[in-house]
Amino acid sequence: MLNMVSLLPHCTKDNKVESKSSKGTTLNELVELKCCSSCLFFECRKHKDLYLWMAKCPSVPSVKFIVNAVHTMEELKLTGNHLRGSRPLLSFSSNFDNDAHWKLVKEMITQIFGIPKDHRKSKPYHDHVFNFSIVDGHIWFRNYQITVPHNESVKVARGGLEKMTLIEVGPRFCLNPIKIFGGSFGGPTLYENPLYVSPNQIRALEKRQKAGKYAKKVKAKKRRKMHELSNPLEPNEFADMWKE
Amino acid sequence: MGLPTKESILYDEEGSEDDEMVDMNVELPESESESDSDEEGDVKLLEPSKKAIYNREGLDEKLQDIIWPENAGWIHRLSIDITQEQEVDVNDDLKREASFYTQALEGTRQAFEKLQSMGLPFLRPPDYYAEMVKTDSHMEKVKRRLLTEQKEMEEADERRKAREAKKLSKEIQAQKTKERAKQKKDEIESVKKWRKQRQQSGFARDVNDGELELPFEDSKAFERSSKRRPGVAPGDRSGGKARQFSGKGKKGMDKKRKGAEFKNSKFGFGGRKGMRKQNTADTTDDVRAFNKGGMAGNNKRKR
Repeated sequence: MLNMVSLLPHCTKDNKVESKSSKGTTLNELVELKCCSSCLFFECRKHKDLYLWMAKCPSVPSVKFIVNAVHTMEELKLTGNHLRGSRPLLSFSSNFDNDAHWKLVKEMITQIFGIPKDHRKSKPYHDHVFNFSIVDGHIWFRNYQITVPHNESVKVARGGLEKMTLIEVGPRFCLNPIKIFGGSFGGPTLYENPLYVSPNQIRALEKRQKAGKYAKKVKAKKRRKMHELSNPLEPNEFADMWKE
Repeated sequence: MGLPTKESILYDEEGSEDDEMVDMNVELPESESESDSDEEGDVKLLEPSKKAIYNREGLDEKLQDIIWPENAGWIHRLSIDITQEQEVDVNDDLKREASFYTQALEGTRQAFEKLQSMGLPFLRPPDYYAEMVKTDSHMEKVKRRLLTEQKEMEEADERRKAREAKKLSKEIQAQKTKERAKQKKDEIESVKKWRKQRQQSGFARDVNDGELELPFEDSKAFERSSKRRPGVAPGDRSGGKARQFSGKGKKGMDKKRKGAEFKNSKFGFGGRKGMRKQNTADTTDDVRAFNKGGMAGNNKRKR
């Protein structure tokens, strides 16, 4: 996830913060110390689940996401490359405007992921685009490089725009919103994803299904025994026919 | 209705005091409709739990708090909204990615048009070099991988082609042998026919006329080459190989091949063997086997 640092030149990366219940205040303090306006906090639990906190500090809302389907920039399949620190274009799918919480998330994304104009670490020109779209209740993030045929990039005509292609740079991930809080890292819950199941519960369910094996076997044996007792076999009249 | 175990999903986060809890069940169907299908490898509640909080006013208020002023200008936010034409199936990777791609492309196009109308430069000139997100060494790796992939594909292609060619040639060979067999059969048939005809006509007038009618009469297939090959004993059917090899003995190079050939020449092809030991003009001229008078014993005997 350090990829994000390289994508966002206007950010400052800070030390790791211990993930405990009092981290909210710590983080708020940190943000204040660094004179930042917003905060992305990646929280890893059990080495498996990655949560992302997106917060506008100090008093304004924060969103908690669970991140899945992560592909980093190091993967060799993604062949694009772009300037470090050029300002990205942000492309949103229109269903961000459908609901209040999506609108809020969109506004936060534009403020966090968009690099401020004339930021001292940013470079001129736009050669990549961040794509956010909501599919299936998740926000899917993609980063594409914009390539235009070289000879035309000097004087950009309409034809150049037509021939424009995109190459994926990465990283790619998928954000599933869990909750929206009124304050940063705390405050009243404003939204809660009704369809969210925490990965812990999923794992627990799987485990329970697996664990039931022995109990089921024992149960089945018992049932069989009861069944045999309740309806015993009729004595076979030919049983000792050949013994005489 | 959610299962009783899953109703307790309320995430007990440190700060989530539910004092502002406004349970808006009326709003739930909307959020349900947009996300009811299952995500890959991800178990979901089939029905949204009713307890979920949805504080619309609070959200709007917060949005108003953080939103940038309207007059901030598009150049500061650089965001574009694109309508997705149709619902995409999440589990179909290709379609999903394609939809993302088209969305991004469309967005870029619109953004560029806006930038162009503003008269701002937006494309990197080809001589503008600066630090890139991915390092050169990484890009080198990517390139190498692409190349190897391409090479592998080509090799696989070649292999497949060779296999197909082999198959084809086999087929052709089979066809040829079949054709040959057929021709042979036909010829034999025609000979039989001719014989029968001859028999029927009672061998009487076959001397000139009977033979002339036959179809294979002038074909060279049955014509024995009248040319006498030099060095081949009469009745030797091995094609002159018998002599060639029997003379040279065992100092050949390719033993296996030679052995087979020798055997062929000795035993193969049937034929008359009786005349083999007879001299021909060549064998009489061949003086290799004679002593040239170097041996002492011979000399003695002559004296």
